[in-house]
Amino acid sequence: MITLDRTRCVNGAATPSELAELRLSAARARRNVLRMMAATPAGHVGGALSAIDLVVAIYRHAMKLGPANHDAPDRDRFLLSAGHKALAQYAVLAQVGIIAEEVLDTYGQTDSALPGHPDMSTLAGVEGNTGALGHGLPIGCGMALGARASGLASRVFVLLGDGELVEGSNWEGAAIAAHHRLDNLAAIIDVNGLQISGPTAEVLNMESIVDKFAAFGWATCEIDGNDMADICAALDRLPLQSPRPSVVIAHTVKAKGISAIEGTVGSHYWKPNSEQLAAAITEVDEHVRREESVVTAS
Amino acid sequence: MIGDVLDPRKTFGKALQQVAEADSRVVVLSADSGGSSGLGEFAKTHPDRYVEFGIAENGATGAAAGLATFGHIPVLCAIAPFITCRNYEAFRNDIGYMRQNVKMVGRNGGFTYADLGATHHSLEDYAIIGMIPGVVVLAPQDPTEIRGAVKAMIEHHGPVYMRIGNDPLPEIFPDDSFEIGRAKHLREGSDLTVVSTGYVTPRVLEAVDRLAGEIEVDLLGLGTVIPLDEQAILASAMRTQRVLTIEEHYLRGGLGSGVCELLAGVPDVTVERLAVPHDFVPSGRYGELSARYDLDVDGIERRIRAAAYPRPRTAQGVAPGSS
Repeated sequence: MITLDRTRCVNGAATPSELAELRLSAARARRNVLRMMAATPAGHVGGALSAIDLVVAIYRHAMKLGPANHDAPDRDRFLLSAGHKALAQYAVLAQVGIIAEEVLDTYGQTDSALPGHPDMSTLAGVEGNTGALGHGLPIGCGMALGARASGLASRVFVLLGDGELVEGSNWEGAAIAAHHRLDNLAAIIDVNGLQISGPTAEVLNMESIVDKFAAFGWATCEIDGNDMADICAALDRLPLQSPRPSVVIAHTVKAKGISAIEGTVGSHYWKPNSEQLAAAITEVDEHVRREESVVTAS
Repeated sequence: MIGDVLDPRKTFGKALQQVAEADSRVVVLSADSGGSSGLGEFAKTHPDRYVEFGIAENGATGAAAGLATFGHIPVLCAIAPFITCRNYEAFRNDIGYMRQNVKMVGRNGGFTYADLGATHHSLEDYAIIGMIPGVVVLAPQDPTEIRGAVKAMIEHHGPVYMRIGNDPLPEIFPDDSFEIGRAKHLREGSDLTVVSTGYVTPRVLEAVDRLAGEIEVDLLGLGTVIPLDEQAILASAMRTQRVLTIEEHYLRGGLGSGVCELLAGVPDVTVERLAVPHDFVPSGRYGELSARYDLDVDGIERRIRAAAYPRPRTAQGVAPGSS
C-alpha cells in the first residue's frame, strides 16, 4: 500500500522580495506572449498562460538558467511535454536571455526559430522536440537516468497538461520513474481543467490525478499553479520524498491574465482580432506596471 | 559457406557485450527483452549500464532518447515489431526528429518468428523506419556482418535501426568488416544483377552458385538498406540491364522499392522484385513459409532463372507460358 503524500506546500523558502520579482517576471513573460501574438495573432495562448507562472518559476527560481549556463552539462533540464504551450517557454527563454528578445518578433513566420511546438535544432534552451502529447515523461525518465549514470546532479522538470494525461505513454513513464527511483525527476502538471473539446473531466476524466500518481509510487503535492508563493514552496521542497519521483499537481486557470478569455475553451488556440489584442496588451501592461511598483516598493 | 552456423541473437549479444565493455558510453536497455537478445551476461556483469524497462517499448524508446541527450549510447533490442510499429511515434519524434544517437535492434525480423504469427512478424520495418529522416537501416547478412554492424552502428553518430533474424545463420564472409552504406560484391556476372539484403543473402548465394555456368549473376549483398549503395547498384544494373531484388520484407517500401526508385530514370533496365506479398503472413514453420514465398534456396533459384530469361512483355503484361 502506497502512503499518499497529500501535503499542501506552503511557506516556501522564497523571500517576499524574490516572490515580487518572480511575479513581475511572470507579468513580463505574459507581455512577451502578446509580443509574439502581435507578430502573428494565432497560437495556443490559453495553455501557455495557465502554465507561464510555473515556467517562470522553474527557469528563474528552481533551475536558475540563463545565457551563462544554459548549455552546461550539469544544468537542470526542462521539458515541455505539453509542447503546444511553447509560447510560455519562448517568452521565458527570451526573458532570461537564452534567446534574443527580437526572436519573439519572428513568431509565426516561415523558418522562424519559434515553431508552433519547440524544436531543439532551431532554438537554444529547448531540450526536446515535444508537441505530440505523452512524450515528455518517458524522455524525462531517460534524462534522469542519464544524469544519474553520468554522475551529474542535474534535475529534470517535465511540464505536462492535464488533458495529456490520458496518453498511455505517460503511465509507462510513471512506472519507469518509480521503479528506478528517479528522485531527480519532477513532473509538473498544469491542471487548467480544459482541453480543446471542453472540460477535461467531461472529455475523459482522469481524476484523481493525485491518487493515480501516488498509486504508481510518486510523491505528490497540490498547489495553486498561478500563485508564485505556492509554486516556489513546491519547487523548494523537491524531491518531495526521496527516493520517489515527485509530481506537483498545479491547479491553474486557462489564459490566466487576459480577463476576456480567462477560463474559456476558446482560448486554447486564440486568434485575436486587433481590438482584442490591443485590449489584452493594455491589460497586461497594467499588470506589469502593478508588479513593477510592488518590486520598487519592496 | 566459409564459417560456422551461428545463432544471430547470441552473436549479436556477444558482439554488443564486447563493444560495450570497451566503450563506457554504451548503455543496454531492455523491454523485458535483454536476456532473449543475448544480453543476460552483460546484465549481470554491468548492472550499472543495463536498464530494465519492463514491457514498455514506448516508454523505453523515449527514455533512450533522453539518455542519449546526456552522451550515452543507448541500445535497445527487442522483437522487431514492438520497437518499430508499437513505438513508431516515439521512434520518429524522440529519436528521429530529436536526432539522438540511439541504436534500435529488431530481432526475429521478417517472419522468422514464424509460428508466433503476424503480431510477431516484421515485414514493414525497412519501409516505416526508413521513412524517418536521418535513420540508418542495417540488415546484416551473416554472423560476421552482425558483429561488424554492431561495431559500425556504435561508431556511427546518429540513429540506427538494425534488423536481425532468428534461425541459425552460416558465416559467408571471411572477416567482420562492415561499412555502413557499402554493398559487398559477392559474385561477378553479366547476365543478371541480383541485389539481396539481410539474412536471406546466404540462401541467395547458394542459389547463385547452383546456377553457375548457366546464369552468370552479378550479386550484390547489402548489409545496409538505408542509405542504399546507389553507386554499386547503378554500375551493375547498367551493365546487366536486368535486376532482381531479394528480401524478406513486403514488396512495398523495402529494398526492392528503393532499387526501383533509384533505377526509375535509367533507360533499358528492368527490375523484378522477390519479396513478400502485401498481406499478413500466417503462422507456420519458417522453412515452409519461406518456400511459399520463394524465399528458400529452391525458390530463389527459380526466380533468378525467371528473371534472367524474361518472358516477352505485351501490352497486356507478361505473355503467359513463354518461358
